[in-house]
Amino acid sequence: MTSIIRAELHRLLRRRTVVITAAAAFAFSAVATLTVFSSAEATGQASRRAGATLASLTGNGGGTEAFAVGASFVGFFVFVTFIALIAGEFSGGTFRAVLLRDPHRLRVIVGKLAGILLVAAGVVALAEVFTFAMSLLVAPTQDVATSSWFSLQSLGDGLRDYATVMSGVAGWAVFGTTLAVIFRSAPLALGVGFAWAGPFENIVVDSWDAGYRFFPGQVLASLIRGGTIELGAGRAVMTAAVYTAVAATVALVLVSRRDVTA
Amino acid sequence: MTSTALSVSGLTKRYGARTAVDDLDIELPTGVVAGFVGPNGAGKTTTMAMLLGLVRPTAGSGTVLGASIAEPDAYLSRVGALIESPAFYPALSGAENLAYFATVAGHDPAPIPALLSTVGLEGRGGDRYRSYSLGMKQRLGIAAALLGDPELLILDEPANGLDPQGVREMRALIGQLAGSGRTVLVSSHDLSELEQVCDWLVLIDAGRSLYQGPTRALLDDVTGGLAVQPQRNEDHPVLRDLLQARGHQVDTQEHRLVISVDGADVGDLAASVNQAAFDAGMVLVELSPLRTTLEDRYLSMVNGGSR
Repeated sequence: MTSIIRAELHRLLRRRTVVITAAAAFAFSAVATLTVFSSAEATGQASRRAGATLASLTGNGGGTEAFAVGASFVGFFVFVTFIALIAGEFSGGTFRAVLLRDPHRLRVIVGKLAGILLVAAGVVALAEVFTFAMSLLVAPTQDVATSSWFSLQSLGDGLRDYATVMSGVAGWAVFGTTLAVIFRSAPLALGVGFAWAGPFENIVVDSWDAGYRFFPGQVLASLIRGGTIELGAGRAVMTAAVYTAVAATVALVLVSRRDVTA
Repeated sequence: MTSTALSVSGLTKRYGARTAVDDLDIELPTGVVAGFVGPNGAGKTTTMAMLLGLVRPTAGSGTVLGASIAEPDAYLSRVGALIESPAFYPALSGAENLAYFATVAGHDPAPIPALLSTVGLEGRGGDRYRSYSLGMKQRLGIAAALLGDPELLILDEPANGLDPQGVREMRALIGQLAGSGRTVLVSSHDLSELEQVCDWLVLIDAGRSLYQGPTRALLDDVTGGLAVQPQRNEDHPVLRDLLQARGHQVDTQEHRLVISVDGADVGDLAASVNQAAFDAGMVLVELSPLRTTLEDRYLSMVNGGSR
C-alpha cells in the first residue's frame, strides 16, 4: 500500500497544487479568524455552532478557537471534494489503469484514500497554524489577551481541536468515497451527495429533531464541531464510527466484487 | 520461460442473459505478435479484461505467463497493458503520469525518457496530458504499458480513433515492439492493420473462437485464384477459350482472367498456364496467385460458420 500512497502524494503535492492549497488554507484562516473575533460576544455560552465568546478566546485554547469554529463548517466541502476525486478515478479510467499495475483492489482504494487524507491532514495542520498566527495579530484589536495561548494546556487543546477536525474530515472522506464507489460517476455521486447532505437532511431536521442524532450528515457535523446541543461529543463519535464503518464496508465490498469495466 | 505465453480454456463471461464471451479457448505461443480479431462487440475487450483481472470470468480457467488468471497479482508485474482507452491524470504531464504508474507498480522510473522516445513523444513528455492529441494519448498508453519491460503486451485497439498516418505509425511501433522478442496480443477490428503486423491470429465472433494459429496458415490455406493477363487485349478471349478447353473455370475481372485453383497446386497450375500461352504465341504480363486477404477469410468464416 505504501507505493500507492507514495504515488498519490507525488501526484497531489506538485508545486501548483501546494500553492493553491496553501492559499486556500490562508484564506480560510483569514475568514475564520476575522469572523470569529468580530462576532465574539462578551458573555454567553461558547460553542462551535454558536461561535466564540471573548472569554473563550482569552482562555486556554483561545488561539485555536477560530480554527475549530471555522473548521466546523467545512465538512460539506470535504465531502464533495472526496466524491469528485474518487469518482473521477472511476469515470476517468485511472482506477482501472492503476489496477493493471496493482490488482489488489482494496489496497488501491484504501491507499488512494489514505494518500488524499494525508494531504488533507497537512492542509488542516497548515490552516490551524495560519489561524493561530492570524489570531495573534487580530487579538489585540479586540482586547483579547493571548498570554494563556502558549501554555501546555493550550497546546493540548490545539491538538484536540486538530484531532476533532481530522476525525470529522475522515468521516466525510469515507462517506464521499462510498458514494463515489457506488455511482462511479462524479456528476451522479455529487448530485446525490449534495441533495442528501444539503437540502434533504437540513429540511427534515427542521421538523424532526431526532434527525440530528441519526442522519449521517448531522452526526458528522456534530463530530467535527466536537459535539452539539442535540448530539454530545461522545455519542457523536460512537455513531459516526458505526456509520463510517458501515459506509467503508459497503465501499470495500463493492470495490472487491464488481467488475471494473470503465 | 514457458513456451505458452497465454492459455485459456472454456472462458465464459455472462452479463445476465447476455453472453459476452462464450466457452473461449486460446493458446498463444511465447514470442508471437498475435492479432485478436473480431467485430465490435465480439468479446475482445471483455476477454482481455478477464486476462488482466479487471473482470471475473463466469466460467473457465487459464494461465498467463504460467500463473493462473485467478491470481493476476502473480503475473501482472510482467504484463503491460492498454485496455479500452488510455487513462491518465489530465493535470499531470506525460512524464509525471508515467512516473506515477511506475511508482504504483514499483518499477524504476529511470527509463521513462527512453520510453517516451520509443513511442515518439520525446520533447513532449513535459506537456500536460490534457493538451495531448488522441494519437499522443495512445502513444503514452503504449509507453505506460512498456514500463517495467514486460514479457507480454496486451493492447486493446491501440489504433482506435487515429488518422491514417497515426495508424501507420502505430503499426510500425507494434512491429518494433515485436522485434524485441516479447509476446504481443493486440486487438483490432481493422483486419488490414493486423494482417501486416501479426504472425499469429485469434479470430472470434459473438464471443466464440473461429480460428487461432499462424497468420500465414490461414491466408495460404485458400487462394483467391490465379490471375492471368496477356499483353495484347485481343488475346483475352482466345486465352479464355484455351483455358476453358483445358478444363479450367475462368472468370473475367477487368483486364485480366482469374482461374479457379480448386485445390490444385498453384505453382503447377501457373506453369501449365504459362506453357499453354507460350504454345499459343501469347506473352503474359501477369501470372500471379491472388492471396485471400484476412478480411475475405474472416468474412467467409463468419458467414460460413467455419470453425
